Amino acid sequence: MMKKLFQTFRSMRFGILLLVLIAALSVIGTAIPQGREISWYAQTYRDFHGLILMLKLHDVFHSWYFQLLLVLLGLNLTLCSLVRIRTVIKARGLETDLLLEQPITYPLDAARCTRVREKLLAMRCREEMAGDSVQVYRKYGFGRYGSFITHLSILLTLIFGAAALYLPKVTDQTCFPGEALNMEDGTQIRVESFRIEDGEGNLDFTSEISIRLPDGRESGVHEIKVNHPLSFGAWKVYQQTYSTAGSITVWNLETGLEDTFTLTDLVFLSLDHVNGLWYEALYPDMIRDPSGNVTLISNVSGSYPNPVYQVETASDGVYTPILAFPGDELQVGGLRFTFEDPVEYPGLRIKYTPKAASTLLVISFVLMIAGLYITFFCQPVLVRLDSEGYTVGGPKPEGMQIAIQGWLEETDRKEETL
Amino acid sequence: MMNALFFATLVAYFVATALQFSAIAFKKEGVGKSAWLMFLAAVIAHTVYIVVRGIMAKRIPLSNQFEFSTAFAWGVAVLLVLLHFRVKADWLNAIAMPMTFMILSYAALQPREITDLMPALRSRWFVFHIGSAVISYSAFVIAGCIGLRYILLNKKGREENSLKLRQMDWLSYRLVALGVLMLTVTILTGAIWAEEAWSAFWTWDPKEVWALITWIIYIVYLHLRLRGKKQGTAMAWYVVIAVPVVLFTFAGVNTLMSGLHSYG
Repeated sequence: MMKKLFQTFRSMRFGILLLVLIAALSVIGTAIPQGREISWYAQTYRDFHGLILMLKLHDVFHSWYFQLLLVLLGLNLTLCSLVRIRTVIKARGLETDLLLEQPITYPLDAARCTRVREKLLAMRCREEMAGDSVQVYRKYGFGRYGSFITHLSILLTLIFGAAALYLPKVTDQTCFPGEALNMEDGTQIRVESFRIEDGEGNLDFTSEISIRLPDGRESGVHEIKVNHPLSFGAWKVYQQTYSTAGSITVWNLETGLEDTFTLTDLVFLSLDHVNGLWYEALYPDMIRDPSGNVTLISNVSGSYPNPVYQVETASDGVYTPILAFPGDELQVGGLRFTFEDPVEYPGLRIKYTPKAASTLLVISFVLMIAGLYITFFCQPVLVRLDSEGYTVGGPKPEGMQIAIQGWLEETDRKEETL
Repeated sequence: MMNALFFATLVAYFVATALQFSAIAFKKEGVGKSAWLMFLAAVIAHTVYIVVRGIMAKRIPLSNQFEFSTAFAWGVAVLLVLLHFRVKADWLNAIAMPMTFMILSYAALQPREITDLMPALRSRWFVFHIGSAVISYSAFVIAGCIGLRYILLNKKGREENSLKLRQMDWLSYRLVALGVLMLTVTILTGAIWAEEAWSAFWTWDPKEVWALITWIIYIVYLHLRLRGKKQGTAMAWYVVIAVPVVLFTFAGVNTLMSGLHSYG
């Protein structure tokens, strides 16, 4: 019973079945949009939405059955790899003996045997004597390990991929230039500056940041932008999004104290909670038609070309909406408000991840590419040749058989033409 | 000027295809030779177009659907030329020539203006990721073309174990192997790039998933064919039927599904 189960789990047929099921579920996972609100499925699929939710087809890739398939594939790969390496090592020493025991599969006359020999030597095969007038030609002996390396690397990719997917802690945070984010473990991520455009007006989205670890080590100031995160210790900081905030300097006319506020949301700036200034919004640009009507523009790509503050003064119960521009000043409720240039600030994605998981994953990627290359482009060559003909052996004889027959046919054709 | 060169290339591919069909229909060897020369001229014009576009854009021209389709058609054409010189695969012309023409026709339907490389695509992985995809898709398409030729020859009564068919089957297998290797490079470099850009190696984005589906389809092919257990007509049908999946991954996903790979 156990033996049968073992044979099933390690069989190629089982592996293929798992791959086909993974592919089929993946098709469903792209046909049905994933991870939306439940109400969206109810609206879009009406009668079928219950079935979709019950079968978790709205979140296929995180469903238990999809994960189970991946685990089973991992098991299949483990058993395949173990069996494969054992077979390969066992067969390694026996292949030549087996080849020499076999009768000649392709009888040839002496002239054609010479042609085959020349071709094999031109292919840089190693020639070895294996008895009177019997030669064995070999190449790419290491090619027999290609399949094992490939399977092992896929298994490692599954393991380290899962680690790289589930171990990191990721948070998205905004931070104004000149300020710092304090992380749970005491790490400090400081944004020195941020720019949306470079000096020539091209979109750039670059932050200058530094990381200080709890043990006092510092990264120094580095630029981050899309595709160029900063990695330091177990932290990795990405330039993710950006936004623009209003900036107003408030001067207390009585005390002479002043402070500058960076504003993103609706806020009331006041001394007595009655008289003061409501900050409502900041717009990138506006259009004023000939009759003086103003249309505020809410979307631009890049820096705000002509920022407009939408505010409202509150004075003894009288509210007056006002549009203000950087440099403008207002006085209300014992305060003077100066509208400054807006502040551009980044949205950062902060990832805390053990570096080993990512490094090992990348190593398994390299191993997979090497494994596939060796499997398909360094297939072992093992040919026995004597004065009567030749036999092709080794784990993958097909390519050599076709190649030798092709050479012979080609030379025959050439001779006929001559 | 660039448009003229592009359409001249497209017309040259069409003429080469038409001549190739005429050569088969009227059994004229000379016409077949003309078709091949016309095809070579088209490949040269195509290469010049891509190089000039790259110089004008000051980057590798692979950044949008038009540029990728143009490179894909070029990849198919170059593979056909390589096979012609390496294994004298003239028998492939009648299938691969129209395929090249069709892929370039799809490119002609896309916006052709040269734009700056968007910040998201400015990465050292860009060339490896997209370049390997071009080679991979081209290899799969040519493997499919060989599969189709195999089926047609087999229908004409040629035995499955004849050397010609075995060579075709083997060539198709080798191209699938090349395609799988290159698609693996595409997926893995994409994963590393995704981690640098979006913080995660894998996000189940439709393009990623369809690349994985394509990879699985061809991995299954390689396993079925392993040690010659399944060969011949069945596998020829397999590589032919797999081509629409490749084309869907290439064009269908971008057209029908929104995701992180929607770069125009």
